[in-house]
Amino acid sequence: MTWSDETLMAFADGELADPACGDVERAIAADAALRERVAALRRQRARLAAAFAPVLDEPMPPRLAELLRAAEPPKVVQLDARRVARERPRVLPTSWARWGGMAAALLLGVLLGTQPERGGPEIGPRDARLVAEGPIGDALSSQLASAPVAGAPVAVQLSFVDKSGRYCRTFSTSALAGVACRRDGQWDLQTLAAADPASATGLRQAASTLPRAVLDAVDRSIAGPALDAAGERQARDAGWHR
Amino acid sequence: MTDSSSDTVRRDLAALLPRLRRFGRTLAARREDADDLVQIAVERALLRADQWQPGTRLDSWMFRIMQNAWIDEARARERRSQTFVAEEEGERVGVSTTDAQIDAIAVRKAVAQLSEDQRAVVGLVLVDGLAYKEAADVLGVPIGTLTSRLARAREALQAILSDPEGAR
Repeated sequence: MTWSDETLMAFADGELADPACGDVERAIAADAALRERVAALRRQRARLAAAFAPVLDEPMPPRLAELLRAAEPPKVVQLDARRVARERPRVLPTSWARWGGMAAALLLGVLLGTQPERGGPEIGPRDARLVAEGPIGDALSSQLASAPVAGAPVAVQLSFVDKSGRYCRTFSTSALAGVACRRDGQWDLQTLAAADPASATGLRQAASTLPRAVLDAVDRSIAGPALDAAGERQARDAGWHR
Repeated sequence: MTDSSSDTVRRDLAALLPRLRRFGRTLAARREDADDLVQIAVERALLRADQWQPGTRLDSWMFRIMQNAWIDEARARERRSQTFVAEEEGERVGVSTTDAQIDAIAVRKAVAQLSEDQRAVVGLVLVDGLAYKEAADVLGVPIGTLTSRLARAREALQAILSDPEGAR
């Protein structure tokens, strides 16, 4: 009797039910060539599994881990989200260097226009650097991502050390999100983007509302894993000095 | 959808992430594309968390979302990814590369040469270890179709991997 490839494959994969399974067993006991065909199928399966197994141990990219971070006090942005327009122009990946002053002024306009009642600009030029001050700067300096404050106007999601050895953190408000890194006692803005409009739906958690541009910026600049709760607390207590 | 069921999905998804990434890598040869796919699927799943029936398999549900997202994506980019395989994998071969790593690269390149349908069955059955029935459910095909697809994929892999030109 001849055996089809599909039958032998199902047998090799443990998918063949009796009585066919018993038939194949008896057949391969008596036929070395058949036995080798089954063995080859099993070797192939093991080889495939081994080729992809290392993916399981690869470090998780921050943007994926971030999507599912613990559903701690979620709706930090909701109060503000109700106040601001639902849709605003989306700012795509960028760095300040490529932006120039006009775009920066536009963004400042967005920020000041949406949160006038908070007083004082949050982001301002300092010696040709853009630094986060006011509520955003304060949140970056003091807030712990591991202990989010419900209802806070600024959420901080992720703290990490970048490739040049600085502490960096991601933040978001109802209108903006970005990455800022600590330099000379100030928070230098590395990336800034409009908040993900999906955050206004309330379906997603604050931690997952970081726009793609921001998560990509983290992926590009992060050195090693993000800080855990203890590391973050330690860094904060040391004034974000390294 | 209550918060607690959404939290459950979120937590279970976090535990599934490594397997989702691995399945993504069987569909998309480039790591970035595979992770994009995982991200899209997780975002869709979170938005539709209320559609998932507790007690059913979250992994099958996620694989299905990924597979559907990949079909959308693959149509859009017209299989552009295949041309990048050689460069990207080539970069990772270094002095410390082991035989197992070299073989893994050859195998992954072989998988990348399969058709979309074949890659999905290989990823679900041979790599993730789903039963034929479970894989057929994920892909929404009868088990006979699944079996013949898998048999053809394995033949094709065998041919690619035993041909020194094809595997390098």
